[in-house]
Amino acid sequence: MYDTIVIGAGLSGMLAAIGRAERGEKVLVLAKGHGATHWSTGCIDLLADVDDPLAGIAQLAIQHPHHPYALAGPAMIEQGIARVRAIGEAAGYPFAGSFNRNLLLPTALGALRPTAFAPATMIAGDARQLRDGRPTLIAGFAELRDFFPPLIAANLRAQGIAAEAAQLTLPPTQRQHDFSPVTLARLCEQPAFRANLGEQLAAYVRKGGYARIGLPAILGLKHATEVVRDLQNRAGALIFEIPTLPVSVAGMRLYQILEDELLRLGGRIQLGGFVQRAERISDTLVAVFSEAAAREQRHTARRWVLATGGILGGGVRATPDGHLHETALDLPLQTPDGRAGWFAPRFLNAHGHPVFQTGVRVDQRLRPLDAAGQLVYENVQIVGGALAGYDPIREGNLEGAAIATGWAAGQA
Amino acid sequence: MDHIELSLTQSLDHCIKCNICTSACPVAAVTDVFPGPKYVGPQAQRFRHAAQPVPDASVDYCSGCRVCNQVCPTGVRIAELNARARAQIVAERGMPLRNRIIARSGLVGRLSSGPHAPLVNFTLNFAPARWIIERVMGIHRHAPLPKASTYTFRRWFKRRKPATNGRRPQVVYFHGCSTNYYEPHVGKAAIAVLEHLGFEVIVPPQRCCGLPLLSNGDFPAAQSHHEYNVAQLLPYARAGIPIVGTSTSCTLTLKEEAPELLGLHGDDIRAVAAGTYDIFEFLRDLHQQGRLRTDFRPIERELPYHPPCQLRAHRIGRPVLDVLGLIPGLRLRESRAECCGIAGTYGLKREKYQIAMDVGKPLFDFVRASGQDLALCDSETCRWQISGATGVATRHPIEILAEAYGLSV
Repeated sequence: MYDTIVIGAGLSGMLAAIGRAERGEKVLVLAKGHGATHWSTGCIDLLADVDDPLAGIAQLAIQHPHHPYALAGPAMIEQGIARVRAIGEAAGYPFAGSFNRNLLLPTALGALRPTAFAPATMIAGDARQLRDGRPTLIAGFAELRDFFPPLIAANLRAQGIAAEAAQLTLPPTQRQHDFSPVTLARLCEQPAFRANLGEQLAAYVRKGGYARIGLPAILGLKHATEVVRDLQNRAGALIFEIPTLPVSVAGMRLYQILEDELLRLGGRIQLGGFVQRAERISDTLVAVFSEAAAREQRHTARRWVLATGGILGGGVRATPDGHLHETALDLPLQTPDGRAGWFAPRFLNAHGHPVFQTGVRVDQRLRPLDAAGQLVYENVQIVGGALAGYDPIREGNLEGAAIATGWAAGQA
Repeated sequence: MDHIELSLTQSLDHCIKCNICTSACPVAAVTDVFPGPKYVGPQAQRFRHAAQPVPDASVDYCSGCRVCNQVCPTGVRIAELNARARAQIVAERGMPLRNRIIARSGLVGRLSSGPHAPLVNFTLNFAPARWIIERVMGIHRHAPLPKASTYTFRRWFKRRKPATNGRRPQVVYFHGCSTNYYEPHVGKAAIAVLEHLGFEVIVPPQRCCGLPLLSNGDFPAAQSHHEYNVAQLLPYARAGIPIVGTSTSCTLTLKEEAPELLGLHGDDIRAVAAGTYDIFEFLRDLHQQGRLRTDFRPIERELPYHPPCQLRAHRIGRPVLDVLGLIPGLRLRESRAECCGIAGTYGLKREKYQIAMDVGKPLFDFVRASGQDLALCDSETCRWQISGATGVATRHPIEILAEAYGLSV
């Protein structure tokens, strides 16, 4: 019997679990597998399309009182992010940034992406620094798929940044095939591999006088800060990482420090535990059943946090006959009327597509409500992408809203 | 199309190519010869057809640890895809003699154990003999082989005076090959604990669960073992008598591996699967029902514990931590290593030995760094691998539980 069981191991679930474990509770995180964090940039987006995220959030909360940010409140946003930053700091993987001004960091296409906080390994890529007129080198390996320095540099130049591109030679290694970001990250933690990489970068700096070098986010899995520091010393230039396509090494690092923290606090994590139904007594959730070999496993707890994500995270699924359903507890969803209402007529519709706002409607304490506004469970809270009424990808607040609501559920 | 085939076919489309499996795969992390679960699983599967030659043999380097299944965010059954693909290769190309032998752990155990066991053990510890075995058989000369026992568990069980004091609830014990031929003490501890808890323990005739055959791709032989075991266990399962096992890989095979991989879904097979429990899963259930005795002697120790892949594949959490956590003073430190590398018979093979050692390195480092002279693990081959690599003694957690109950084994 646990005090709290959290369903889902993304950012919101981990923050809720850490919060409750810190209060001395016995906590279990049940998750189907690894997920959204491993696909993410490893940065903390608060709100895109604004200069001052915190002011933008305050505005948003007034306009949309049911938005997850409005429900969590500004204190939970700031405290939750402060907690993530403290965890990063203690793990030697600090985050930098500000609540009041978005960073603009290059993507793997050379676009500039607003985000509030980024790991220190990415911070020298902020466009305001890159625009100081000094030359920047974007470098990568031909062996790494989906990362093309010439494309990135060309797009940065089009945005007024003096960027050039180089393809590095893969340092000697036993590995011959398939250089995924993770393979390269493991190699970067080997001193000989890193030394060779550093020599190549130093040669480019001597030749081109680069002040900064952008590399794919493959600079170590466990010791990224040290890897970047070491490469900066060898190269004689600032180094910044650019997030890659999934699997994202920077996303894995973020998940890892949260997992480490939860386990340190005595919490447990069960992966491969796909929750598929609930057992209730009146408006109390008493147990959930997760899929297991030969039969289901029954789990009991006093309180519950549902953090399974939205359509992206797999917490909401569509059936072939056009119904959307919540996968773990079969909660009522706030969803467009009928399949015809899922999508806007234009693919690049300015307000996004209604279906992506599908989620569970909640009360002020994040507890699930049905279509009539009646409380479904008094001891369940919904956090992160499973919440209704926002489109985290389009709004650019995936991490911020997850952390704010997750932290709120961990505190209340 | 049976249930697993359907889910396998569908899972090709569930795969969104996110590479989480390949990033977590402990084998792909250490070698190039295995391109990773995504490639040999959902991707290569599109090129595998019943009437056509197997497109790629690299799937044979899948160790079957199932870490891929565990981390997949969309529920693809990658390890099962791989196991079936390997069986297709074996059906098409035949099976090397070495695999035929090591896949028959019951036969090997029967030949090794008994009064002549010291001679067998001496030979298998004798470097020149191991060199010859490696050359002739392809079993790596340093691979961890268990010590044969001078007596079998079944023989001990038959000869002992059964504890009879009135009618007691019954439980069936599935001992598996390793307990019978190599580690009877594990079975003795299990019997002692179950009897201490008030059960009458039944040990029906049984064969190897068939897992080594499944993981080496000999599906027809595995099926005959499984059908035999189901026939033996069915009366108990039908009568609601739980079947418990100390070998977490045997119980997984009875529950899921054999039915799913072999496509056996009859009522009898299902009944036995649904009635089978890993012993700590069973004990945890008893505790949840308030039926587990907790008159433990304190054990003031901190021990490293490795939850093996086969246990994790049950998808039941960490029953050992739940149950041993009740013992006053005992603190278990859980390993977070993905796999010990051995994966049953995988790490015995000459061409895979080094991969297995590289896969297991984080675990070996963890066990060594604990500074303890004892580590716990639910799976026999993992225990042998850990002890072989680190020199640290290993025990099944049931032995610690018996000790905490003050039972002499």
